[in-house]
Order: sequence, then structure tokens, then C-alpha cells
Amino acid sequence: MANTNLIKNNYKIDIIKFRYLFLAFTGILLIPCIAAIIYLMSTQANHAPLKLGIDFTGGTILQYSVDKKVATEDIGKIRTNIEAVGVKNPVIQTTTQAGIDNSDVKNLVSIRTTFLGDKESKDKANQITQALKKDFSNAELVQVNSVGPTLGSELLKNTLMALGLAFILMVIYISFRFQVEYGWIALLTLFQNAIFVVGFFAIKGIFFDTAVDSLFITAMLTVIGYSINDTIVVFDRIRENMRFLAKKHSSSEIINASINQTLARSINTSSTTLFTLFALYLFGGSTIKDFVLAIIVGVIVGTYSSIFTAGTILSIVKEKMAKKDAQ
Amino acid sequence: MKNKLILFWIIIAITVSSIFVLYKKPASLGLDLVGGSRLMLEAQTSKAVPNITPEIMDSLQYAIENRVNAMGVGETIVQRIGTKRLLIEIPNITDTAKAKEFIGQTAQLEFKRPAIAFDGSTTWESTGLTGKDLRKSLVGSAPTTGEWMVELEFNNEGAKKFSDLTKELQGKQMAIFFNGELQSAPRVNEQITGGRAQITGGEGGFEYTEAKQMVDLLNAGALPVGAEIIQEESVGPTLGQDSINKSKIAGLIGIGAVMIFMIAYYRVLGLVSCFALIIYAIINFAIFKLVPVTLTLTGIAGFILSIGMAIDANILIFERTKEELRMGRTLFTAINSGFDRAFTSIFDSNVSTVMTCLILYYFGASLVKGFALTLIIGVCLSMFSAITVTKNFMHLIFGSKELKYPQLFGLRKEEIQNAYVAKETKREKAKFGVLD
Repeated sequence: MANTNLIKNNYKIDIIKFRYLFLAFTGILLIPCIAAIIYLMSTQANHAPLKLGIDFTGGTILQYSVDKKVATEDIGKIRTNIEAVGVKNPVIQTTTQAGIDNSDVKNLVSIRTTFLGDKESKDKANQITQALKKDFSNAELVQVNSVGPTLGSELLKNTLMALGLAFILMVIYISFRFQVEYGWIALLTLFQNAIFVVGFFAIKGIFFDTAVDSLFITAMLTVIGYSINDTIVVFDRIRENMRFLAKKHSSSEIINASINQTLARSINTSSTTLFTLFALYLFGGSTIKDFVLAIIVGVIVGTYSSIFTAGTILSIVKEKMAKKDAQ
Repeated sequence: MKNKLILFWIIIAITVSSIFVLYKKPASLGLDLVGGSRLMLEAQTSKAVPNITPEIMDSLQYAIENRVNAMGVGETIVQRIGTKRLLIEIPNITDTAKAKEFIGQTAQLEFKRPAIAFDGSTTWESTGLTGKDLRKSLVGSAPTTGEWMVELEFNNEGAKKFSDLTKELQGKQMAIFFNGELQSAPRVNEQITGGRAQITGGEGGFEYTEAKQMVDLLNAGALPVGAEIIQEESVGPTLGQDSINKSKIAGLIGIGAVMIFMIAYYRVLGLVSCFALIIYAIINFAIFKLVPVTLTLTGIAGFILSIGMAIDANILIFERTKEELRMGRTLFTAINSGFDRAFTSIFDSNVSTVMTCLILYYFGASLVKGFALTLIIGVCLSMFSAITVTKNFMHLIFGSKELKYPQLFGLRKEEIQNAYVAKETKREKAKFGVLD
């Protein structure tokens, strides 16, 4: 009988046998993420789980390209010079990137201030440029982003709405295409993925002062779409196997086999996507690095959760349901 | 078999015409790639104008368009966003400060008459003669001093108002205000009926650029309400070019790595998917140019991500085909059921991606929209490339032959088993994986 092969021979990892172990491991991984999120929510004035960028708070970011690497002590000097022209509490960050040839933009200095678009601070940007040129004579202003404070809070509102809507639509779609419990479990894994990505950037925010912008939300939504992809592929296999094997095997056996059958696909797909993403991260435009990083983290945790979270929880739920039916 | 060949030539024809499109049509690149500024203006309410009506927005947009065009910097876009905002895109501009000043000025021209205020001092009061009554304005120079000045020509109504006003103010001063600032206050010697007037620059006169800017602003028309810049994104040309170069390199490396992996892991199947991927990329870029999609940095990221997803469809199919082969299906059946059974996965997962993209497109800011749009196009096209192109190629290559060399699929010979059992299975059942 070929059927028995389908179930028994293909186990690469026995997910179901060690399911509580995997869930515990996931839980442990989540702890630092949740801790960082709580830390930021309790210490920041706006109670956001992440350091928010100017897209959401309003403000101006001036980005300069400079020809040499900016040392830590230079940042202090730049700060003093900029504060001297009357800009309060500028946030100064530097990025260095390997370039292909000399004409590439390699070192970026970004200076974040309050919103400089209004009439009173018309010349501030020029003054900052002059102040920076004291130390870096060939500094070139390559990018300006300015967001008024009212627009900022509006963007934040829209963004949260988009995220919420995406979540709801996913659950509805999966509940409709599969079964309701699949929908809820998909939502749960989505939440888990979101916590991983947000937590990662919360930690990065605490230690490297990384602030998130609307591109980050784009990354989050992409990650949602992507990890739902992974989960759906696993669920699709479970659904198919359930249809034809449910009489001969328990749901846990079927789920275990399904995860194992899709394992090669899950890993290969993530690998190919990660190839392109890492290429973008290492060699792509310097201004979208964090955006790409967020997607990288999301793809990794998305694949992880489609293998280790979605199926395991489904098996627990199905077993509970089976017990209830038996009673 | 004949149908398969026809389909093959259709695919080739689409690809060739796409290549043609790629050569003929220029790509439209976003501001973050060519350099330029994007400004968001918000109409401000005031006591005089408590509500921003669509009519006000129309005239605001008209005035802003005129101004932006007067700058003469190439293809600019002025677009209405929501009920009270305008998005202005100006490519290739480096000096944004100047642009901002030029765009943001309300350009209110007003003629005022002297009046006595409550506290007894002299002030100016409105006369009803404003910039709206102008026909046009020019830069001129005073015949005696050679100083630059702004020449005004009123329309019929304006000429009548001006004539009445000068008659009334004979022997008195008349003031000309521009944006609330007193420009000059000449003494009116006699009634002026010709409908012409000049603004001189007061002490020291106008600089030429000053006069020119005022003329441009007056000709473009005054803004009906104040407008404030609430968002600005400017990218210098250096960074733009840098981003283009880097994206190209990243894209090539990314695609190259994917192809090497696919060939190493799936052998002949991988090779097929590489060709499908190349066709996918060509058609995709042709669609970008035809729609046209303005390529931004995030848009390129969306495209590169969609490559990952296009490959995912192939991987799903190949894994399924290999599994079928392992279970002992003949090659032809294995390929067909590989596609049939992978289809629901591909479909469901792509629908979910398209759904998130639609949300992004609807709610997102312009940068985000570019990403969502390229990803939607990519995902939809990948359904075509994975299912039609890859399947067609596989059928043409393998036909209904037996699989003699499982290594070609990255399978070991001993993995293939029970080929005999599969042949016994009824076709409909085999399709759903039921073996009895």
C-alpha cells in the first residue's frame, strides 16, 4: 500500500511528538521581544511599542553623504555645531555601506530634528548644512524628509487601520476557504510573527535608536502576506490530506505528515526569497536597509511559525475537538 | 501536443513583443531615483474662508500648477489628495528652498487707500482692487532711473476700479501691498484711465529676480487661500543614481543566486523555472512600462520580492511533481497532478498577498503605493508564468516520455517506487492522491 508510505516514511522532523517543546521554545524566543515592547511602551511618552520616526511624529530628517567614515567622537562635534545654530536635541545617526566603486554613496549622516517646514524655521536647514560642513567640507545634502505634526498622527492612524484591516481580511478569507479554527490559528501565528518583528525593531530601537517609518509598516504588511502564504501552504496540505486520509489516520498524524511533506517547499521558498532579500540588504539602496531587514526577519519567523506553530496548535485544537466529539 | 506548441509560440510572441516594449518605451522613474522634490500642501482655513470647498481647491490647484510650470523644470505633477491637500512632484530640482518659497507664497496683491485708525494713526484700508483684476504683469524698467519695476495691466473691470480709485485719491497716497507687505505708496497726481500701473521697489528698487518672481506669481494667479507645506521629500540626484545602480546590482545578484539554487536543487526542472523566470521578468518590466508604473526604490523592492514569490509557485509545483514521482506516477501524470495539486496552495496564498497589497495601495502614502502596485502586478503575473509558462515548457520537454533519469529532477533512483501500482489506479482517483 502506497498510503502507509505517505504517512510514516516521510518524517524528517517529528513535529507532533515534540510539539510542546517547540511551543515552549517559541515562547522563550518571544520573551525578549515582549519585554522590549513593554519597556518602550512604559518609557516612551507616546506609549508606542516602537521608536516612531518622523512619519508618525512629525519632524525633519536631513541626510548627507560624506566622503569619510564618521567616527563616534565626530558625532558629538556635529551635535555641538548643530545645537549652536539653535536646533534643539538633534538625533544624529550614521550609516556605512560597502560600495561597488568610488562614486557610490557610502557614508550617510542623517540628522533628525523637529519639523522644519514651517515659516519660522525656513533657514534652519541651510544653517544645519553649514554647521555640518565645518567638519565635513564636502558633505552633500542628498535627501530631505519632512512631515508636519498633524500629518504624522494621521499617517499613524491610517497605518494602524491598514494593519487591523489586513488581519481581519486574512482571518475571514482563511475561515471561508478552510475552516474557522484554521482562521483563528492563522491569526494567532500572524500575531506571533508581528510580535517577533516589532520586538526585533523595539530591541534595535533601544540599543541603536532605530526609529520606524511608514516603510516599516509596509514591511509588516508584506510579512503578513508572506507568512500567511507559508501557513496557507501547510494548511492546504492538511486540508487535502484530511479529505482523503481522515478515516485511516488521526488528525495529528495527518498534520505531522503534511508539515513534513511541505517542509522542503517551505525551506526552499524562504531560502530563495531570502537570497533576493539579502542581496537587497547588502547591495541595494542605502535608504531602504531597515525596510529590507524587517522583511528578512519577517520571512524567517514566518517560515518558522508555519512549521512549528500553525500545525502544532492545530493538532492540539483538533485533538480537543475529537475528544469532545467522542464524549 | 499541437495545442502545446501553439501555446509555446504565443508565449514566445508575448515575450518578444515585451522586449520590443522594453526597447521602445522609456521607463518612468520615481523621484527617489532621478532626484527631485515631493511637497504636500495643505489649504489653510481662515476667518475669511472657514471652509475649503472643491471650488477653492480647483482654483488653488490651478494657481499652483501655473506656478510650478513657471519654474520651467520639466515634467511636474500637481495632484489632489483628499479634500484639502495637493501633492506636487518636481523632478530634477536641487534647490528646494527656493521652490518651496515660490510655491507657498499666497501672492495677494492689494491696492489700499489711507484711513484713520481708532487711535488716530494712519493706516491702510482695502479698496476692493486686487490681483484678481489683473490681466497680466511684466517686468519693466523705469525710463529715468533704469530701476527694475513690475508693470501691471488691468482687465476691463480692474481698469475701471483703478480709474475710480485714482480719481478719488487725487493728491493723496495709494498703497500697493503684496502678501501683506507694503511695496510702494506712490502719490496719485491725477486720475489714471489707461488701466496700467507700476510697482516700484521703494528705496533701492527691486532686484531683477525679485521683480521677476513677483511677476511670475502675479501671472500665475493668487492662491485663494493660504497653503502650508506639511510634508516634503527631496532626494538629490547623486543618491537617486546611486539607488538605481545599487538596485540593479542587488537585483542581478539576487536573481543569480536564486537561479543557481534552483538549478542545483531541481536540476532540469530548475532550468525550466529559470527560463520561466527570465520571461517573467521581461513581461513584468514591459507591463511596468505600459501601465505605466513609476518605479521607485520601494517599487523595485516589491518587484524583487515578487520574484521570490514567483519562484515559490515553481517550488510548490516541483515539490509536488517530485512527490508524485516518488509515489510511482508516470512522468506525464506526475507533472499534471503536480500542477493541479499545487494550484490551490498557489491560488490561496497569492490571493492573500494581493489582499494585503490592495490594503497597502488604498491606505498607504505614495511610496507605499508603488511597492503595493509592483507586488500586485508581480503576483498576478507569477500565476501566469508559473502555471502556463513552466507547465508548457515541461510538457514540451518531457512530453509523454518515461522518466529514465530521475537525477534530472534531483531524485535518486531508489526513491522511485511502485510505479506499477500507480498505473492501476483510476485516473480521477489518482488526481486526488487516493491509491487503492
